[in-house]
Amino acid sequence: MHVEFFGVPRERAGISELDVQADTLGQLLGKLATQIPSLGKLIGLNELHPAFVANLNGDRFISDPGTPLGKDDCVLILSADAGG
Amino acid sequence: MPFGYHGCYLRIDVSNGSSEYVPIDDTVLRQFIGGSGLGVRLLLDEGAALIDPLAPEAPIVFAFSPLVGSPLTTSAKFAVVSKSPLTGRINDSLASSGFAIAGKSCGCDAIMIVGRAPELSVVIIDERGVRLEPAIEHRGATCRETEAALRARLGANYRIASIGPAGENLVRYATVSHDGRHAGRGGSGAVLGAKNVKAIALRGKQRTEWARPQELTTISKSLSKRSFGPATAKYRELGTATNLLTFNRFGALPTRNFQSGTFDETASLSPEELSATRSKTRESCVSCTIGCEHIYGGTRVEYESLFALGSLCGVSDADAVLRASQRCDELGLDTISAGGTIAFAMECVERGWLDDLFKEVAWLKFGSGDALLRAIDLIGSREGIGNLLAEGSRLAAHAIGHNSIEFAPQVKGLEIPGYEPRALQTMALGFAVGARGADHNRSGAYEVDFSDKVDRRHVTLDAVRHAIDTEDKAALMDSLIICKFLRGVFEDFHAEAAEMLRSVTGWDVTAAELRDTARRIVSAKRQFNLLAGWTQAEDTLPARFLNTPLPNDPAASLSRERLDDLVSEYHRQRGW
Repeated sequence: MHVEFFGVPRERAGISELDVQADTLGQLLGKLATQIPSLGKLIGLNELHPAFVANLNGDRFISDPGTPLGKDDCVLILSADAGG
Repeated sequence: MPFGYHGCYLRIDVSNGSSEYVPIDDTVLRQFIGGSGLGVRLLLDEGAALIDPLAPEAPIVFAFSPLVGSPLTTSAKFAVVSKSPLTGRINDSLASSGFAIAGKSCGCDAIMIVGRAPELSVVIIDERGVRLEPAIEHRGATCRETEAALRARLGANYRIASIGPAGENLVRYATVSHDGRHAGRGGSGAVLGAKNVKAIALRGKQRTEWARPQELTTISKSLSKRSFGPATAKYRELGTATNLLTFNRFGALPTRNFQSGTFDETASLSPEELSATRSKTRESCVSCTIGCEHIYGGTRVEYESLFALGSLCGVSDADAVLRASQRCDELGLDTISAGGTIAFAMECVERGWLDDLFKEVAWLKFGSGDALLRAIDLIGSREGIGNLLAEGSRLAAHAIGHNSIEFAPQVKGLEIPGYEPRALQTMALGFAVGARGADHNRSGAYEVDFSDKVDRRHVTLDAVRHAIDTEDKAALMDSLIICKFLRGVFEDFHAEAAEMLRSVTGWDVTAAELRDTARRIVSAKRQFNLLAGWTQAEDTLPARFLNTPLPNDPAASLSRERLDDLVSEYHRQRGW
């Protein structure tokens, strides 16, 4: 699946997007934490720090580590604090 | 009198220079705290809802708070509260920094100004008392120039809030500026301008005591420490400008007067692009550990300014957008209302609807940075088409006709900030019911849209309670006053706010009491609006948002019926 980073996650990751294989949100976050150690402080035990959120395909926000993901999905990771 | 307060406000009549310290009852302080809450209460007592905001007798309040001057991070803030000349409804705008501390050190919890000075003047408050001095030589000066000149004249330790040329010219969305920051929304600069007050210069030495200083120090240290954590990383590391790419990805970036939710050239305005070719520095308000101000090539950059002067006007030339933002700051113009009104005019020009009113307006077109800059200058001086645009998009639409009010981007006359309501529908409700009009600082409902609590493009009545929560929380933060950029660091905001207030005032205040206080403050704003003529029909959005789905995202559709249902449920849950 495709992953896009925005804001602080993008800055910490040093990239704006990448492709990862994962069956669930928890698995995806675990892989991201391993592949991109600089994201470590954003990702706890297979879940995001409360200051960050994940969104599936630009539609719904997801937080349950068990949320199933498909190979055509796109997960967006961004700051929870959307305002300004 | 409780700790943390002086127990009075300073009422100044600039018509004759008289002033008096007016006691404030302890109960009022506890019920309304300070900042926005106290300001609204003082205005209600003064009968301000029934007065033309640009009339001499109209009051304007600079309200401080019990936390000002304490070691609590981000607490150096003040609220400017008046009836808005843009909306005819309540307006409370907040700004930060040394003016708040200096104002409270003048021995009062708020400063109320009424009357009209015989000539352009500066109000000076210091150890000699209150006096007016001529400010004729500062006519036409920018806010920054005025502050520099007055500090050179009076002394470097004065703190100054001033208006720019836009305020002098009664532009209905003129700001009050201090130290480069603005009480930006709703036209408080025009209210001061109508009083012939160019600036207020303060210096004071009267400190308040804290009830439990040791406890306050412990709380302050904890809060400061947390303010360096992940919850504020966005503001520290990137600033609000980073919203631009995020909102564009979600189809929620208002573009070309809300005709689209995406802007193809967003990347050219992104922080990454801005920093590629410009110097970048960071600044903080006094008493702030976050440091959210990101300055590119000498211009402070905020998301709201980038969206309003960039995508909303279809302008992708970063140099032009930064210059426009800087020009608004110099003139003392709210960037959101300036951009919103100009974008509206650009669409009217495109439709040929301004040809009857002005000889030559073809230059005012989407995408033109030169047109944007020219329009801003004309607004600031109220010349040519600028005189119409200085009225804001709602009044301009009434003058233009052609039913252009359907796409004038405003609620209650206040231009809509950078959140596309069809893509963020909890925020759409927040905009519709906002006491001061469409505003992201009085309703944080967008946070709900960016969460798993709702489906942001198909919200149900369940969203209403979340919208109310964010509105209540904002009312409390604006009255304490604590910066909203801290909101993510609190696990239980009301409990922690109660701890802060207890340590400063000595009151046995609880989280439950503060929830009631927040509701009281929101209700006071509504009461003000009711007195000023508000009806529920005002709690809506322009027809554009209710007739047409977003072109880039047909799923983002909000019908009038659904919005009406949300608004009715909001009123029901409020008990109104």
